[in-house]
Amino acid sequence: MRDSPLVQLEDVSKVYQQGKIEVRAVDHLDLTVQPGEFSVLCGPSGSGKTTILNMIGALDVPSDGTVRLEGKDLADLGRGRLSRLRRDRIGFVFQAYNLIPVLTAYENAEFVLSLQNRPEAERRERVMTVLEEVGMADYVDRRPDELSGGQQQRIAIARAVVSEPAIVLADEPTANVDSEAADTILDLMAHLNEKGVTFLFSTHDQRVMDRARRLIRLRDGRLDVHGTTT
Amino acid sequence: MNMTQMAWRNLVRNKRRSLITSFSVAFGVFLAVTFTGSGDYSYTKMIDTGAVMGFGHLTVEAAGYNDRPSLARILTGASDVQATALRLPRVEAAMTRIMGQAMFATGSNSSGGFFMAIDPAREMPLYNFFLRSIVSGRLFDTADGRGILVGAGMAAKLNLRLGKKVIVTMTDKHGELTSELLRVSGIFKTGDNSADHHLTLLPLDRVRRILNYGPDEATLVAVYVKDLRQVAAVGRRLSEKLRDLRNIEVMPWQKTQADLSGLIRVDRLFNYLLQSLVGLVIAAGIMNTMLMSVLERTREFGIMMAVGMASRQVARLVLIESFWIGIMGLLLGMILTAPWFWYMSEFGIDLSRYVGVDYSAGGVLVDPVMKLRLYKESGFMILFAVLGLTMAAGVYPAIKAGRTVPVESLKEM
Repeated sequence: MRDSPLVQLEDVSKVYQQGKIEVRAVDHLDLTVQPGEFSVLCGPSGSGKTTILNMIGALDVPSDGTVRLEGKDLADLGRGRLSRLRRDRIGFVFQAYNLIPVLTAYENAEFVLSLQNRPEAERRERVMTVLEEVGMADYVDRRPDELSGGQQQRIAIARAVVSEPAIVLADEPTANVDSEAADTILDLMAHLNEKGVTFLFSTHDQRVMDRARRLIRLRDGRLDVHGTTT
Repeated sequence: MNMTQMAWRNLVRNKRRSLITSFSVAFGVFLAVTFTGSGDYSYTKMIDTGAVMGFGHLTVEAAGYNDRPSLARILTGASDVQATALRLPRVEAAMTRIMGQAMFATGSNSSGGFFMAIDPAREMPLYNFFLRSIVSGRLFDTADGRGILVGAGMAAKLNLRLGKKVIVTMTDKHGELTSELLRVSGIFKTGDNSADHHLTLLPLDRVRRILNYGPDEATLVAVYVKDLRQVAAVGRRLSEKLRDLRNIEVMPWQKTQADLSGLIRVDRLFNYLLQSLVGLVIAAGIMNTMLMSVLERTREFGIMMAVGMASRQVARLVLIESFWIGIMGLLLGMILTAPWFWYMSEFGIDLSRYVGVDYSAGGVLVDPVMKLRLYKESGFMILFAVLGLTMAAGVYPAIKAGRTVPVESLKEM
C-alpha cells in the first residue's frame, strides 16, 4: 500500500501580473510527492519549476487550487505557522548557496536548530554528524567567503537536512558549481535520500535528471504531454 | 549562535559604516553631556547663590510670610527650629535671620532699602554671600552691637565711610515707627546692583530690640542642605519634625525664589527642547544608515525567513543591531567626552568678556565662567535617552526587515 502523499497539489494555478500582462506560471497543475522520493521537476525556463517549489515551500501562495503538505492545507495557516512549518518540516537548498555570510560553516548548519531552540548539546551532536556526512567537518570555522562554491553548497545541504525535515526542496542545486562538485553534491543527496530524506529538485541539469528516480516534466506551467517518468 | 552575537557580527562586517554611525551617537552623547552638564552646573550655582543671599535652600517662616512679607509675621521659637533643623541628616547649616524693609539716613541723604539681621557669631561666608563680598572694614562683632554692613551702592549714595553714623528707621511689630543709630563697620560689593544699592546687614539682637521682638523671635530660619536634590526630602522631614509648632511653614527655594525657579524651569525646558531637536537629527541619521544596511541585506533576510526565521525574529535582530550601535556610541561618546568634561569641570570657559562679571538673572548673580557638572541622575538620563533614541531609530528599519517577503527577495538573486 502506498503512503499518503507528502505533498499534494490540486488544480493549482499561479498567475503573476507583470505590468498589464498576466503571466500564468502554473496552470491547473495536479501533483503528488510521496515520502522518500528523489524527484526532479524539469523543463525549460518559465515552465514554472521554481514557482511550484516556492508554493510547496510555503514561500508563495497559489492563485487557485490547494497545496497540502503532510495533509495540511497551507492556505489555512497564518504567517507564524507557515514560518514554523518552513523551519520544522521543510529544508531549502538554493541555487546560489545562500549561506549567511556572518556565520561560520558550523553556525550556518546549526542555524535552523537554533531557531528551534534545541539544546546546545543536541545541536552540536546533530550538526557534527551532518557535517561529517557532507564531508565538511574539517571546515567548521570557515566563513562562507572562505569556502568554494561546492563546499558552500554542501553546507547549504547540511543546513537543509540537519533538522530532519519532511522534504528538502532544492532549486537548481548544481547550477553554480563545477561538474565534479555537482557529482559530489548529487552523490550526497542520493545518500541522504537512501537514509529516508525526501528530495524534490528543479533543474535544467541533465546529470541531475539522470540521477532522478522520478522525472516530472513541465511546460508552460503544466505537466508536459510526456508526463512523468518513474 | 545567538542573535546578539549575530547582530554584532553584522555591524563588524561593515566596520566603517558602523563606526561612523557610532560616532554620530557619540556626538549626541557629547552634546547631551555639554548641554545637561552646563545646566546642572549653572542651575546649581544660581540656586546656591540665591540661597546664600538670604533665604537658604529651605526657609522656615511664619505662615503667610512668603506671600506677604511683613515684620509683623513672626516666627517664634526660632532657636528650637534652628536646633531641630541642624539635627537632621543632610542639613549643613541653619541660620536665624530677620529680613525686612527699613529707611537708612545720614545727615545729608536717605535711602529706602532692605535689611538682613544676622548673628555674627553663627554666620559664615560659606552661607552668607555678603560676608564673602566685604571690600572694606569687617562684619560687626556682636549681635547686640551697633554695627551695620552696607552695600557699596548705598554707601556711595549716602556718602558713607567706615565708622560713619546711619539712622535706621523701621516699623516695629506693633506698627510703631522706631529708629536706631548705627555705625558702618563694613562695606560689601557683590556685583548685583539691587543688593549693593538696597541691602544692609544688621546685628540680630539689636534689631530684635528695635522691632520689639522677643529673644527667640525672628522672621525666618534659613536652612542649607548638602545637596540640592535633597531639598524636597529634607523639607518633608523638617515639616514632620516641626508639626507641633503652629503657624509656621517650611518653604523650598522654589517658593522663596520664585523668579529664579521660573527662570530655571524655562531655561531647562529650552535646553531639553534643543537637545531633543539635536537628538532627532542624529536619530534620523542613524535611521537612514540602518535602513540602508537593511535594504542591502534583503536577500539575507529572505533566506533567513525561508529557512524558518519568523518576521519578529528578523525585526529583533535589527533592533539588537541598533542596541549595539547605541552601546558602541555610548562608549565612544564617553571616551571622547571625558577629557572635555574634565577640562570644563575643572577650568571652564570664561565668558565674562561677553556677559560681564556682574551678570545677574532671576535676582542672583550668574557665574560668568561656563563650567560643567553632571549629576548621577542626569548621567543615567543621558545614557537611557541616547540608548532609547538609537533603539527608536532602529524601529522602522527593523519593521522593514521583518516585512521582507522571502519569495520576492529570492527572485532578486
